[in-house]
Amino acid sequence: MTKLGSATDLANLRKQIVSKMDPKKLCVTICSGTGCQACGCDKVSAAFQEQLENQKLSGKVNVKRTGCHGFCEKGPIVIIYPEEICYLQVTPQDATEIISQTIKEGKIIDRLLYTDPKTGKKIAHESDIPFYKNQKRLILENNHNVDPKSIDDYIALNGYSALAKALSGLSPEQVLEEVKKANLRGRGGAGFPAGRKWETTRNAPGEIKYVIVNCDEGDPGAYMDRSLMEGNPHLVIEGLILGAYAIGSHEGFIYVRQEYPLAVENTELAIEKAEEYGLLGKNILGSGFDFKITIHRGAGAFVSGESSALMTAIEGRVGEPRPKYVHSSVKGVWDRPSNLNNVETWATVPFIINNGADWFNSIGTKGSKGTKIFSLVGKVNNTGLVEVPMGMSLRDIIEKIGGGIPNGKKFKAVQTGGPSGGCIPEKFLDFPVDFDELAKVGSMMGSGGMIVMDEDTCMVDTAKYFANFLADESCGKCIPCREGLKQICKILDAIATGKGTDDDIKTLEELAEVLRDASLCSLGQTAANPVLSTLRYFRDEYEAHIRGSCPAKVCKALITYHIDPEKCQACGLCLKNCSVGAISGKKGVVHVIDQEKCIKCDTCYDVCPDKFGAVMKISGEPMPPAVPEGTKVKKKV
Amino acid sequence: MEKGKSKFVGVRITDEQASMLSRLQKDSKLSKTELLLKGLTFLDEFYSLGLDRRPLSDELSALEKEAFHYAAELRRVRTREEAINEMVQELHNIDEIVDKYHCDKSALIQILLEIQAKYYWLPKHALMWVSERLNVPMSQIRQIATFYKAFHLEPRGKHLVRVCLGTACHVRGGPRILEHTERALGIKAGETSEDMKFTLESVNCLGCCALGPVIVVDGDYHGRLSPSKVEKILSSYD
Repeated sequence: MTKLGSATDLANLRKQIVSKMDPKKLCVTICSGTGCQACGCDKVSAAFQEQLENQKLSGKVNVKRTGCHGFCEKGPIVIIYPEEICYLQVTPQDATEIISQTIKEGKIIDRLLYTDPKTGKKIAHESDIPFYKNQKRLILENNHNVDPKSIDDYIALNGYSALAKALSGLSPEQVLEEVKKANLRGRGGAGFPAGRKWETTRNAPGEIKYVIVNCDEGDPGAYMDRSLMEGNPHLVIEGLILGAYAIGSHEGFIYVRQEYPLAVENTELAIEKAEEYGLLGKNILGSGFDFKITIHRGAGAFVSGESSALMTAIEGRVGEPRPKYVHSSVKGVWDRPSNLNNVETWATVPFIINNGADWFNSIGTKGSKGTKIFSLVGKVNNTGLVEVPMGMSLRDIIEKIGGGIPNGKKFKAVQTGGPSGGCIPEKFLDFPVDFDELAKVGSMMGSGGMIVMDEDTCMVDTAKYFANFLADESCGKCIPCREGLKQICKILDAIATGKGTDDDIKTLEELAEVLRDASLCSLGQTAANPVLSTLRYFRDEYEAHIRGSCPAKVCKALITYHIDPEKCQACGLCLKNCSVGAISGKKGVVHVIDQEKCIKCDTCYDVCPDKFGAVMKISGEPMPPAVPEGTKVKKKV
Repeated sequence: MEKGKSKFVGVRITDEQASMLSRLQKDSKLSKTELLLKGLTFLDEFYSLGLDRRPLSDELSALEKEAFHYAAELRRVRTREEAINEMVQELHNIDEIVDKYHCDKSALIQILLEIQAKYYWLPKHALMWVSERLNVPMSQIRQIATFYKAFHLEPRGKHLVRVCLGTACHVRGGPRILEHTERALGIKAGETSEDMKFTLESVNCLGCCALGPVIVVDGDYHGRLSPSKVEKILSSYD
C-alpha cells in the first residue's frame, strides 16, 4: 500500500473500493461486540463459514463481522444483506436453516424475527423494530455496517472525508471555530464545552501539546465507549486527528481499560492501518501535518478516569488526581498542555466538520446539542445501547425504546450518571434528557449509564452499593473522600440492618456536604449524590428501614423467609436445594423453614415453582403462626 | 576363610557371601539384575568399599541407603537447576517486554500488564528485575502493583471465576450470586482455593448487562443466572 498523498488520492481510493463492492451480493453480517460474544457469536460465525464452504457458496456469499448493534438483549444479531433481514438470538444450529431457507431460497424464517410484544407482529427489518425506530442513530449508525478490522470498510462509508476536508481546505483556526460554534459539550459527564477546552490548550504556552482519548469507562453499567472503540475505532481516530490539527498537537494517547481486550485489539489494528495508508504519521495526506497515536492500557482503577489522574497514569505512575489550580489543558501530561476528551466527544467531531455547526445545532435542546448514547440496562425489557437526540424524555427512552419494565412490575426509579449521579423518581420521567435539566433534579448526565429500577429494588441498598463502590475505589489521597465515604458506608450499613436511628439521616446529610465541599477531585465531590438523591425522593424507605422493615424486601437483615402452608404443594424442590438443611417436610406434608438455621440465601424463593409461589419474604410484619408438625398440604384442584 | 569360585556380576565372592546372596534374592524376591540396580553398581569396588567385612545383606542395605541419599541430593540439585533455568528464562522474557517498550520508565504500567498477562501474577523476582532494568525503586513498583486492580502478587488458581457486581447485575441479584459462589467454592472474593483450582473475583461491570446477573469462568459467559444454577456451572470445571 502506497501512502495516500492528498485528499484526491483518498477520494480515488474510495471510488476504487466502492466499485469493487457489489450491493446486490448476499452478505451475512454477524454482530461481534462483547455482548454478542458473550452470547456465542463466535460459534455462529464459525458455523456460517463452515456451512457455506461445505455447500460451495463461500464465493457467492460474504460473511462479515461487525461492531456492536446495540440491541444486546437479543444477541447474537445476524443480518442478511441485501434484503437486510434481521435475525435475533441466532444459535450455531440456526445457520443451516438460514442458509437453506433465506440465502438459497430467499424465504424469511419467522421464528428468528423480532416479535412486537404488543401486537405480536413479526418484524423483518432492524430499522422497523421499535427499539431502533425511536432512536436517532448518528454516531452508532455505522457500527453495524463496518467491520472494525477493515479500514477499507470505513473509507467506503465516507470515512476520513472530514479529515481530508479539514487538511485540504480548512485552517486549524477554522476547525476550532466550527467546533466552538457547534456547542459540542464533553460527553464524559460534566458537559464542559469541548471547543473552549481545545482553545485553552491551543493557546497554552509550550511547543509540545498532547491530545488524549479517555476510554477508561469505569462506571458500572455503562459501555457506550467500549462499543464505539470496538466497533468503529477509525471514527474516534479521525476525530482525534481533527482535534490535534485544531489544537496544534502532534502526539496523542488513547487510554483504554485493559478490561476491554477487544477494544485494545481493534484500536491497535486501526492505528497500524491508518499509518500504512498515510492517515497517521508524517505529512498526513500531503498537508505537512504530523501526528502519531500511542495506546495506553489502564490497569483497572476507577479514579484513573479522572482527567488529572489519567494523565499521571500515562506517565507510568499511580493514577491519583491532583488539585487543579492549574487546568490540565495548560499543564497536563509531563506538565505540558494536554486536551482530554471522552470517546464519544471525539467521535462526534468528524460529523460536525462534515455537516457543519449549523446542522449540529439543529439537533437537541437549547443548552445541549447533538445526540447522546446511553446504555439502557437493569430492569428493562430491551437492554442495550441507545442513541437519542438531546431533549428526549426519560419516559420515551424507557418505554418506547426500552419497552418498559419486565414481568409487569412497577417502575421505581432510573439511575443516571453512574456512581456520581442520582436516582430519578417517576414524577420527573417527563423531564428532557439534557445536561442542565438532569442537574436540576439532583442527578447528572454522566457518561451515559441509565439503570432502570423497579419496585423490587431497595433504594437504601442502591445507595449502599454506590457508597461501597466509591469507598473501594477512593484513592485515599484526600481525607474527606477516604474517611467520609467510610462513615457513609457504616451508617448505611446500620440502616440496612435495622440498627439505624433518625439522627443517622441528619449525619448523612452533613457528611455529604463535607464531601462535596472539601474533596480533591470530582470522585469525592459527587460521591454523596446517590445518597442525597435517594434521601430526597425516597426518604420514606430510609425511615421504613429505621423502623425495621425493607419495603422492597432486599436487605437481608430485615427479611425472613416463610413457606405459606396454604400454597405449599410439598414438591420438595426447596428442601432438596437448601444448602444448610433448614427446610423440613416430606411427601404430602407442608414444608417448614427452621429460622435458626436459615441463612437467607434466597434459594428456596428462587426454586419454588411460579405456579405455587409458596415461599415468601416477610419484612416488618409479624411472622404468621407456626403450622403444627405434619400438616397435610391442601392440594390444588 | 577360603575364597570360593562363585562370582557375582563378574566379581569373585566367598561361599558364605554367595549363600547369603541367594538367600537375599529369595527373601526380597528380586532378580539378580534388580539387586544390581538397587546399589550393586558399586560392586566392582567390592574390596575398596569393604563389602567383605560384614554380611553382604547389611552391606547392601547400607549401600542402598547411600545410593538413595545421593539420588535425592541429585534430584534436589536438578530441581534447583531447573528452577534457576526457569527463572533465567522468565527474566529473558521480561527483558523482551522491557525492550519492547525501549526501557522507558513511563511504560512501567504497560510492562507490568504484559508480565501479568503472561504469568497471571507478578512474581517477586520479575518485579525486582523490572526495578533493576528501568532503574525504578521497588517501592514505586509495589505502589503501582497494589493500586491497580489488574495486578496480583499471589499465584492464581487454574480457573478464574469472575462474578459481575455492576449496577445492572446488582439490581438483578448479583450479590446473591456472589454469596452462592463463595459458599460453593469455600472461599471469599479475591481468594484462591487451597488446591489452586479456583480463584474467585468480583468485578464492577463486564459490560454485558443484557445477560445479568452474569459470571464468567475462564472467559465463558454464564448469563441470566439464578442462585440455584451456580453449583452446576462450577462443577463442570475441574
